[in-house]
Amino acid sequence: MLNSAPVLELKNISKRFRTLQALDSVDFDLREGETHALCGENGAGKSTLMRILAGIYTEYEGDYILDGQPVRFSSPREALRRGIGMIHQELSVMPELTVAENLFLGRQPLTPFRTVDWRTMNRTAEEELTKLGFAHIDVRRPLAKYPLGTQQVVEVLRVILSGARVLIMDEPTTALSPAEIERLIELIDMLRKGNRSIVYISHFLNEVMRVADRITVLRDGKKVATVDQAETNRDHLISMILGHDAKTEAPLVSIQQHASIMLEIKDLSADVFSHIDLQVGASEIVGLYGAIGAGHFEVARALFGMYQFDSGLITVEGHTYPRNFSARYAIRHGLAYASETRRKSLFLDEPIYKNITLPHLDKVGAVAPRRVREIQFAEPAIHMVNVSPPDPYNPAGKLSGGNQQKVALARWLTLPPKVLVISEPTRGMDIGAKSEVLGILRELAQKGLAVLVASSEPETVLAVADRVVVMSRGTITAQMENKNLDKEILMRLI
Amino acid sequence: MSVDSPSIPAADSRQRQQTSLELWVGRLTSLAPLWTLLALGIFFGVVSGGNFLRSVNLNNILVQSSTLGILATGMTFVLLTGEIDLSIAAVMGLTGMIAAQLYTTLGFPEPLATILALGAATFLGFISGFISMRFRIPTFMTTLAMSMIADGLNQWISGGKTVFELSNLVQFLGSGRIGGETSILRVITVVAVIILLIGFLILRFTRFGRYVYMTGASKSAARLAGVNTNLIIIACLTISSFLAGVAGIVNMGRLGSALPLSIPSYLIETIAAVVLGGTALTGGRGSMLFTALGVLIYQTLRNGLDNMTSIDNFMKVFITGLVLLVALIVNVVFSGRAERDKSQ
Repeated sequence: MLNSAPVLELKNISKRFRTLQALDSVDFDLREGETHALCGENGAGKSTLMRILAGIYTEYEGDYILDGQPVRFSSPREALRRGIGMIHQELSVMPELTVAENLFLGRQPLTPFRTVDWRTMNRTAEEELTKLGFAHIDVRRPLAKYPLGTQQVVEVLRVILSGARVLIMDEPTTALSPAEIERLIELIDMLRKGNRSIVYISHFLNEVMRVADRITVLRDGKKVATVDQAETNRDHLISMILGHDAKTEAPLVSIQQHASIMLEIKDLSADVFSHIDLQVGASEIVGLYGAIGAGHFEVARALFGMYQFDSGLITVEGHTYPRNFSARYAIRHGLAYASETRRKSLFLDEPIYKNITLPHLDKVGAVAPRRVREIQFAEPAIHMVNVSPPDPYNPAGKLSGGNQQKVALARWLTLPPKVLVISEPTRGMDIGAKSEVLGILRELAQKGLAVLVASSEPETVLAVADRVVVMSRGTITAQMENKNLDKEILMRLI
Repeated sequence: MSVDSPSIPAADSRQRQQTSLELWVGRLTSLAPLWTLLALGIFFGVVSGGNFLRSVNLNNILVQSSTLGILATGMTFVLLTGEIDLSIAAVMGLTGMIAAQLYTTLGFPEPLATILALGAATFLGFISGFISMRFRIPTFMTTLAMSMIADGLNQWISGGKTVFELSNLVQFLGSGRIGGETSILRVITVVAVIILLIGFLILRFTRFGRYVYMTGASKSAARLAGVNTNLIIIACLTISSFLAGVAGIVNMGRLGSALPLSIPSYLIETIAAVVLGGTALTGGRGSMLFTALGVLIYQTLRNGLDNMTSIDNFMKVFITGLVLLVALIVNVVFSGRAERDKSQ
């Protein structure tokens, strides 16, 4: 039962990445038939701990004890052989193969002629699925024919069938619909009854409270506490996750109360978001906050013509965009966008000035852009955002993350747009770079731009936004002035 | 302008200061194709006892390089975007045949026959590009299909027969000389040089050229900067096909006949020449000047081996392959393209 000896134990685990202490003397244990949730903010050390458990990180300090024996895995493969399997956030199923093939991936039963024994494979798959209560899944159909929730279930079952007694699930529900989440939770209950142990990582505390037997909270690489589910509640968890002494930065007061509307989104719907209504006024910064997978990054991309939406209207300064408009169209009509993946949005091998002038080459030189004019165009922007070093010939890839972000912003500054949409403006930056980038956003707003910041980092949104719009699973769940808001309030809304 | 932000230079950059020696080594190795060409020239000059370096022979190399140079100009555009055009050899053959048939069989006046044939070539390139982008099919496949279509049309139009009667214009382009019959300068060479030069100017100095490079360097980044990458790729395939048509016309004039079949080796030779010049198959890197060098390297190799009577003829293709392989390795190693990040 629950008080049985632990299946596995981590003792005094520490892990450093260069200057960052990701984990600091953390203890963790997992009992047989237990679902043990790991909670904490982004960067608290959940992922690191989980990767050590799964054998992905092999360099760390401390002891890993499995069935009473110290172990040291050299690969995830070895961990799986010893019964520890992991379900990644991005599914690793093969949609083109049948359900049965996915279940037996890499260990298909063979005939004496070394070909795949389809009959045995399909029969065994059917038996196993029936045993676990998923008899309605046709093992002969390609997995792609089933919704994401079923694919997730198949991935879980695959790991179970390959002999895992311990299952590590990393944010398993971010992309699932509510009904699919119910089914996944049922599956977890069933696995628990079958004496499997589960490490469950999720941002969604409601889910955590439903599935977990025990909950371990991490903060800044340290373990805060391990508590029984019955002894805690959501509010208690939130205060442990944030730390009682957590003080959020003083909220900004809206500069203009009734700003003229620059960006208006009406009833925008696509596959991952629906009925989005949103307005951003001149000189206003609106934070679009949501957990990863909430659909807010897709909304941002849709505004730039980079994500296809099914219905709805986008209006910039009174001008409504046509259906299927291009990024070029958006740029010409006053909207600029910087994506959350700088690696994908900058040319890292190319000099800074080329990164800055590319969207405006038609204005730098209608046919032939001359380098002198390009530099003239790029240099003021480089200085405006304080890129360091301010050498326009330096390849963008040689800059630090913060400076790359400044370049991504700088490209829109020489010919300022009406509306700036930026996703995750400060991800992966140090404190100094963060405040610099946020400062630039504020400056732009003061110059009259409407700024929409899509982010999954509550600190970012709270630090920069005049108004906060919260998205959860594709819909807007709350809109409010950024006054007396704190992380706690935001975390309750997702 | 605003120099009022005295941030410490290089404080935040991860760039290591390079010594002047390293800088010079960098500059010299970035010219690897040029050194390869010189080394080959010197090598063949020595082993042939100077025969190889006679002006007649050097001019031969230029003439032999001309058709390839025109094809390589188009291929450079396509490879720079990270795409490929496998239809050039077939389009080249088809264009020649269309021009010959229009002139000979249907009695179209020159230069109308040539212009129509080039129009057909251009159209085929546009179709490959449009279908690739509209239906998201790799250009590898669409141009492969287009290659068969063009070959098939060629055979169908010609009825499998070679056409020997060519217009004066085509003969002039293919085998004419500038400045009288005794002149050494061939029209075909001048055409190739002009095309390479125009290609160079477009890539180096125009907005379109910049879009081509950026599309190849990172399609996602180009799109996020508002570049219509689909349009750029279609344009490059159209250019490539048009130039394949030009190559078809001049090559027909050089050979003196329109063949009912394409010469498939032109495709591989073109890709080899462009890559020898250092253009990356993944796109974004390369230049027209180096493509010209790549073409010269390839033809120097072929010509030099042809002039070495001591080598068995049947071994020459084998040796060409080997030398190509070595040259490719040298070019990649010295252009510093070996990636440190193994996930790239």
